Amino acid sequence: MTDEATTRGLRPNYAFAHASEAEFAHILDFYEVAWEYEPNVFPILWDLDGNVLESFAPDFYLPDLELFVELTTLQQRLVRKKNRKVRRLRELYPGLRIKLFYARDFRALMLKYGRAALVSELSGTLGQVMPRPQADDSAEPTDGLDGLDRADPAAVAGAELHPHHERRTRAARRRAVRRAVEAAAQASAT
Amino acid sequence: MKHSQDLESDVAEVLLTEEQIAAKVAELGKQISADYAGREVTLVSVLKGSLPFMADLMRSIALPLRIDLMEVSSYGGTSTESSGLVRILKDLSAPIEGRDVLIVEDIIDTGLTLNYLLRYLKGKNPNSIKVCTLLDKPARRLVEIPLDYVGFEIPDAFVVGYGLDFGEIYRNLSFVGVLRPEAYES
Repeated sequence: MTDEATTRGLRPNYAFAHASEAEFAHILDFYEVAWEYEPNVFPILWDLDGNVLESFAPDFYLPDLELFVELTTLQQRLVRKKNRKVRRLRELYPGLRIKLFYARDFRALMLKYGRAALVSELSGTLGQVMPRPQADDSAEPTDGLDGLDRADPAAVAGAELHPHHERRTRAARRRAVRRAVEAAAQASAT
Repeated sequence: MKHSQDLESDVAEVLLTEEQIAAKVAELGKQISADYAGREVTLVSVLKGSLPFMADLMRSIALPLRIDLMEVSSYGGTSTESSGLVRILKDLSAPIEGRDVLIVEDIIDTGLTLNYLLRYLKGKNPNSIKVCTLLDKPARRLVEIPLDYVGFEIPDAFVVGYGLDFGEIYRNLSFVGVLRPEAYES
């Protein structure tokens, strides 16, 4: 997580993968809660050789609150996958605080702020700003990456992985994980 | 939004009766009176939802006290869309520096408003600042804030009454109830 990526206050014209994320960011901005968008990638599954098979990048990190937030407004099939990923994340990184914000939570938030009419267009498929043909939340990556020691996931969790704010494609995520692996390897070498 | 003339008919379930609320407010007042004994507390009510609670709570506290009112803009409100940032619509009418402040809230759910208020009020250098809320909805919490006095922990439902509104309506119900989905889905 970088200082540059941490912002308090309104940030227009920001690239998000989903309209609900943009709305959530606006709410945080409104109440002056600092946030970062997908600042970390956490490997959550390795093969027997220690290669990363699956990783997870929570949507938001709120540095003042030391809290990760994952939003989901999609269908139940994807929620189950996210539940599993969050459960796995908590197992592997017990010190990490993460809140999974479900569609019903988002709906309640919109209702509270008198924006219930916008729920449909900000949720699910309709809320996708751009198509995500191999969306991170639905695809189960099978590409192995070298050099990650399963016994030390925290070494990767602490690495600076994604300080910029572009929408993360699968390829970008693979590159980010690769950088994390390299950073972890470099850290262990020194 | 469509609401009927008979507001109570829009309520699916009474969550807290008038009697339950009154008993709890008396209990909170007693506790606050004991905790602040020998001191003068300033109750800060956060408009508009906490008005009925404030009116009842202040009368159940057996101490010399001052009251003040604050109002902050809410996300999505038409009056705030130009700035996109939370604004103090009504500030305190008297300084709180060196005073013992008790924020009186109707409900804490996400904690976003309270988090903002606490930061704002702490900047005014009170001697102490605590929070008293009638309702706590922890299922919706984003910002974890210690709550010093909590009336009721409630389930994850949209509630109205006893100051709580939907579209500025239902505040005058004497109880707290769960709003029928038809009332806000129309």
